[in-house]
Amino acid sequence: MQVFDLGSTGTTSGLITAREAGLVACQRCGQVHRQDVRLCTRCDGALISRDTDSLQKVWAWLIAGMIAFIPANIYPMLLTSTLVERSESTIVSGVIELIHHGSIGIAVIVFVASIMIPMGKFMAIIYLAISVQRKSGTNRHQRHKAYEIVEFIGRWSMIDVFVVAILSALVQLNTIATINPGIAAVSFALSVIFTMLSAQSFDARLIWDADRTTT
Amino acid sequence: MSDIPPTRPAPLDVRPVKQRIWRRLSLVWLVPVVALSVSLWAAWQNYLDRGTLITITFENAAGITASETVIKYRDVTIGAVESVEFAPGLSDLLVHARIDKTVAPYLDDDAQFWVVRPDVSVRGITGLDTVLSGVYIEGNWDTEADVAQYEFTGLEQPVLTRAGERGTHIVLRANDGGAVSAGAPVLHKGLEVGYLEKPELSFDGNQVVVSAFIESPYDRRITTSTRFWDTSGFSVSFGAGGVSLDVNSLASLIEGGIAFDTVVSGGQPIRDGHIFDIFPDRETARDSLFADPNAEVVKVAVLFAQSVSGLSKGSEVRFQGIRIGEVSELSAIVVGEGETADVRLQAVLSIEPNRLGMGAQATPEDAIALLSDFVIRGLRARMVTGNILSGSLVVELVQIEDALPAIMTFTSGAYPVIPTTQSQISDVAATAEGVLARINALPVEELMDGAIDLMDSLERLANDDATVAAPASLVALLDEARALVASDDIQAVPRDLRKTINDLDALIASAADADLVGDLDGALAVATAAAANVEAATRNLPAITAQIEALTAKANSLEFEALVTTATQTLASIDSLIGSDSAAALPGSLNGALDEMRVFLAEVRAGGAIENVNAALASANEAALAIEEAVSTLPALSAQAGRLVAQTEAVIESYSERSRFSAETLATMRDIQAAADAVSALSRAIQRNPNSLLTGR
Repeated sequence: MQVFDLGSTGTTSGLITAREAGLVACQRCGQVHRQDVRLCTRCDGALISRDTDSLQKVWAWLIAGMIAFIPANIYPMLLTSTLVERSESTIVSGVIELIHHGSIGIAVIVFVASIMIPMGKFMAIIYLAISVQRKSGTNRHQRHKAYEIVEFIGRWSMIDVFVVAILSALVQLNTIATINPGIAAVSFALSVIFTMLSAQSFDARLIWDADRTTT
Repeated sequence: MSDIPPTRPAPLDVRPVKQRIWRRLSLVWLVPVVALSVSLWAAWQNYLDRGTLITITFENAAGITASETVIKYRDVTIGAVESVEFAPGLSDLLVHARIDKTVAPYLDDDAQFWVVRPDVSVRGITGLDTVLSGVYIEGNWDTEADVAQYEFTGLEQPVLTRAGERGTHIVLRANDGGAVSAGAPVLHKGLEVGYLEKPELSFDGNQVVVSAFIESPYDRRITTSTRFWDTSGFSVSFGAGGVSLDVNSLASLIEGGIAFDTVVSGGQPIRDGHIFDIFPDRETARDSLFADPNAEVVKVAVLFAQSVSGLSKGSEVRFQGIRIGEVSELSAIVVGEGETADVRLQAVLSIEPNRLGMGAQATPEDAIALLSDFVIRGLRARMVTGNILSGSLVVELVQIEDALPAIMTFTSGAYPVIPTTQSQISDVAATAEGVLARINALPVEELMDGAIDLMDSLERLANDDATVAAPASLVALLDEARALVASDDIQAVPRDLRKTINDLDALIASAADADLVGDLDGALAVATAAAANVEAATRNLPAITAQIEALTAKANSLEFEALVTTATQTLASIDSLIGSDSAAALPGSLNGALDEMRVFLAEVRAGGAIENVNAALASANEAALAIEEAVSTLPALSAQAGRLVAQTEAVIESYSERSRFSAETLATMRDIQAAADAVSALSRAIQRNPNSLLTGR
């Protein structure tokens, strides 16, 4: 057995990958197999050393998510009908309205959850995908952390959709007040889903392949 | 164990397999493609469905909010306001709105837009829903697609007539806009059948013009002979029928209202935009039915010297009681020059020739000619009281029979002038007062006293012995005269005369030159004439009786008991007077007179002196003349009695109508008394001295 210098843990210089060791780990249960094994002996999951289509999927889902994000911001999120008036508010207009009403805290939360995070996710995924494609060898640890954050935080973006769903379900007082989800709610949900799929499609192991293939 | 180097795994060839790009493409790419295509399709659809952009210009856009205010047509939302901005110059507001593509083609030049706001008026509350929902813009256009327009001017007030609503638009003219306000109802027999639009001042500023919309099918009731009148407010009229208070619906009380009716048939159907006048009240409207507002009128002037207070523009002009026109102008003009200058009040009369009975084809010149002809035959204008209560006057053209000759003058002014005559203006107060004063001043009690006095006097007169004696004496006188004529004595006279003549023959023979016979013949002829006169006078007496009887009948018919009883007594007295026999003495007296004559003749015979005879014959001649004179007064007497009767009759006739009755009656009574006194004096004189009949003394 090859002895690996574990002393260099935390740096990338002396690291060896499983692939270099002729091993492949199950993505689900973590069982390590030899590279020629196709199915995980423990969980029957497919074993693949590198997902060669990963970047394609990432880009595809990402683009779909970004497309969905456009109507999510253009079209109204909430259709509020009260006895007196009927209003449609998009995400941004809702934020502005909240600021006008003085609820800056809530406005910040909505803004961060609905604008900043999705945008940040797009940025992060684009950055990761491009860096992998360029086989960049820098900041591998930071990029991996960024990937994990993106994957973790992705699901929380759905909070907006949940709020809309709960409001729509609760406020149905016929003529007095009604709240209905707008097209933007669906678009936003789709956008979040596509982004999450995009993040999931990303094979984080590619981060570590970069300098190997070049050197 | 040998030191064999640890076996290293065989290096893997990890070169990626170069695959064709299509083979390497993941199916996941379908997702963004689908997403993109869906988005693009949605965007395209959205773009296609996007409404037509129109711009509406409003002066006042209160309540209009971009992207919230909707545009409705027949209460259905067809679009929404996109933005509101100021027009250059900040005078107007431009409202940009998207209109449904399916509706947009119908927005042609007849499209109207206005802002619906809550409106609380007398007739109800409209637009209440906009209190909560905010204002909206309502559009109105017909259902025919014409050349589409994209820029419109919004109305400040909602239009009342929806395009496509079936009915007729008419134009109403009024002198005063107080009765008309936008939305005021048009009533027909109490039903609201239409409404007024916003009133406007006419072009020349003299009238208020308001267009009205009459809904179908009521618009069929409107013809050229329809009349509109103002029903706003309430009217109080005071007439012969008492006081009448006329109040219409509350709405028309406050907002005003117009009613119409078609009283006479025969009007022509009207088209949109027909112009009607609004009359102040129903009566005026009805009256005007017989006046074609477009009929040609002839204008003539009348110059009044006295005040025309009470005459006003619009006062009637009547011809023999029929309305033929009205006063169209009142003014003062100066006639004459210098010292003779005088101010006259000129009333210009608008006379409709067809009311004068002239045909429709009659020209104004014909009418003037007709009037001129009438004036020559005595037509005059005068003011008469039209309404005794209000003191209003009307001008009346009357035919004055004995009018001073006059002609229509064409020179004094713009219009031919009809001469005037004395106006008959009765001021109601003065008239009523005067009537009452005269009634008050009627000496009713004196009249009764006088009547009773008269009857007393008549009774006294009739009962007076002298009165009783007078007719009796008269009758007696006449009888005696008749007896005298018929008496043997008179017939003996010729015998005596013949004897005398025979006696005188000798004298004649002896004195042939003497002309005695001719003288005697003349005396006898005079005596004969006297006798004929007496006879004629006697014939008048029955007529007097008949007249007195008629008088009695009249007196009988009077309701005053005293009068009747007194008259009855008078009658009785007169009867007894007529029936008395005391006149029989008259022939005796005549006999005496003739006897005396005979004596006289005998004395003549006895005297034998020719001179005496001559003197005697002259005296006889004189006596005969005196008899003739005395007898000739008898017809005068009877005529006087006849006049008395006539006067009494007149008195009795005029009793019921003349306040002078008393005085006249007293005077008449005095006349009767005087006449009776005269009769009795005559009779007494004759009785006392019958000889005077013969002697003339």
